[in-house]
Amino acid sequence: MAKVGFSDAVLKEVNALFARYPKKVHALLPLLHMAQRENAGWLPRGWEQYVADLCETTLNHVRGVVTFYNMYKTEPVGKYHILVCTCLPCGLCGGTEVLEHLEHRLGISAGKTTEDGLFSLEDAQCLAACDQAPLMLVNENLQKRITLEQIDRWIDEARAKKA
Amino acid sequence: MAQETLLLLKNMRTPGYTGDLSAYQKAGGSKAWEKVLGGMKPAQVIEAVKASALRGRGGAGFPCGMKWSFMPPLGAKPHYLVCNADESEPGTFKDHLLMLADPHQFLEGMMIGCFSMHSHHGYIYIRGESQHAIRRVQGAIDELYKAKLLGRNIRGSGFDLDLTVHPGAGAYICGEETAMLDSLEGKRGQPRSKPPFPAQSGFNACPTTVNNVETLANVPFILTQGPEAFAKLGRPNNTGTQCISISGHVAKPGVYEVEMGHNLKSLIYEYAGGIRGGKKLKAVIPGGASAGILRADEVDLPYDFDSLAKAGTMRGSGAIMVFDEDTDVVRLAERTIRFFNHESCGQCTPCREGTFWVKNMIRQFMDDAGDGVLAERIHRAAGQMIGTTICAFGDAVGGPMQAFVRKFPEEFAKHYAS
Ligand SMILES: Cc1cc2nc3c(=O)[nH]c(=O)nc-3n(C[C@H](O)[C@H](O)[C@H](O)COP(=O)(O)O)c2cc1C
Ligand code: SF4
Ligand code: FES
Repeated sequence: MAKVGFSDAVLKEVNALFARYPKKVHALLPLLHMAQRENAGWLPRGWEQYVADLCETTLNHVRGVVTFYNMYKTEPVGKYHILVCTCLPCGLCGGTEVLEHLEHRLGISAGKTTEDGLFSLEDAQCLAACDQAPLMLVNENLQKRITLEQIDRWIDEARAKKA
Repeated sequence: MAQETLLLLKNMRTPGYTGDLSAYQKAGGSKAWEKVLGGMKPAQVIEAVKASALRGRGGAGFPCGMKWSFMPPLGAKPHYLVCNADESEPGTFKDHLLMLADPHQFLEGMMIGCFSMHSHHGYIYIRGESQHAIRRVQGAIDELYKAKLLGRNIRGSGFDLDLTVHPGAGAYICGEETAMLDSLEGKRGQPRSKPPFPAQSGFNACPTTVNNVETLANVPFILTQGPEAFAKLGRPNNTGTQCISISGHVAKPGVYEVEMGHNLKSLIYEYAGGIRGGKKLKAVIPGGASAGILRADEVDLPYDFDSLAKAGTMRGSGAIMVFDEDTDVVRLAERTIRFFNHESCGQCTPCREGTFWVKNMIRQFMDDAGDGVLAERIHRAAGQMIGTTICAFGDAVGGPMQAFVRKFPEEFAKHYAS
């Protein structure tokens, strides 16, 4: 199992973060985001306990929080983590077609990761960019007014890079 | 395009405007903050905001100055102002524009709000998916510390202030203010029963006020130009301008700034370019997914809090979703209930179970297996969520689901079992 714990440099950031809240546990959400950034976007075994110890709370409390919020993951996610908005109004402006196309092209249904670990696909709620429909969020990058051709090209490029 | 009334989007509509602190100040920014620090009393600031009659832009339209005046006098506990930048109501994207294109404007309003409520620490709660907004606002805060407009003894005033960006982690319900406070405390974001109200016991059990990004962005104008100049815009009890998010089947979706009370039909046709592809209008959801749908013949009315309430729906977050003649209204209802069912925090039975049952009933229509009795059952089940829950989410689902059934019976009839 890989090492659990932040580097000294990140621990300095953690302490700066704690200084901005009355109690350490208040910083739990940003801490969990930091932990996921250290681990390719998810929380491997041991990290929930580590974060619980860091902010002086219980493992149970951390687990409750991790399961409540969509963005925390307890299983590995793909190198490209794709959120497709199919909410209202995107869903009626091409969003549903984009999701179906991705499911077909990647051979997975929403909520799953491809076997090669390259792509994860999620069916998302409104991402506050409805005027840019249809859209997808790939890691931190919003791809706006996307066409099915652009998606095909992007998938081919990502696969070629890996090969 | 029809002319906008530019108050909040004025800077960013100027070609070449970067939104950096220097650009903001060149455009007249920071003057309100300097004026406040230069000798205004907290109570004077609150009086000015009260006189402007500014109402909250996050959804409920509560008078901002009155909310600020509910904060108790400073006692042993610290006070907090939390800026609601969660922006998760479907159809809404104006707060992101305000944060990305002119972040110093709403931050200046927030700093003034902190001063007036004796708060020395403010939190900006930004949804976790929006890393670009988080980075942008953090960058603007860094500039303010460097310019000594934040920090200790700001400009020799004796006033200390810190601002902190807090990321959410993907949960619509955290936009509800008491859920937001729990989330800010590192908990699951579940709404609290009121009372106590946040002004009595909010973040870390201390007096707290929560305000939307757009609400706060109005405050610098009110202090530099005067509350009268603000109240002259719009209509009585619905003052100022509003940043409207228009999406759906329009030619030019986007954010447009108009006076409160501007005609809804004009917004769709004169600002957003009308229905795309030359199609006819079928329906408008006028205030985010929580607002009841309107038929095409109901949209010729002033767009503000009171007029939409009178029309049986609401202005909500100022998100107008436009749908053309080819739209299947049952599909709109399905997307809406799917959203609410996914986002219910699960504390209250009517909300948790109700969203689930209504979703299943709507799906029967999607499978062309509906009938008139089932449509009535949806209406009744939706009604049982209204006024029976801890937070306003129950009303926010029940109202629109009833409106779908009542306003578009012919659309449901298309999905009856044959
Ligand atoms: C379910 C639910 C979701 C909400 N989501 C948001 C939101 O995303 N952004 C927001 O500003 N207000 C939202 N609100 C309203 C807040 O509870 C609160 O009224 C608002 O932030 C107060 O700010 P204002 O008075 O400046 O409008 C939501 C309310 C409910 C019931
Ligand atoms: S109404 Fe729904 S979202 Fe609000 S507290 Fe109850 S279960 Fe949670
Ligand atoms: S509905 Fe897709 S971004 Fe708003």
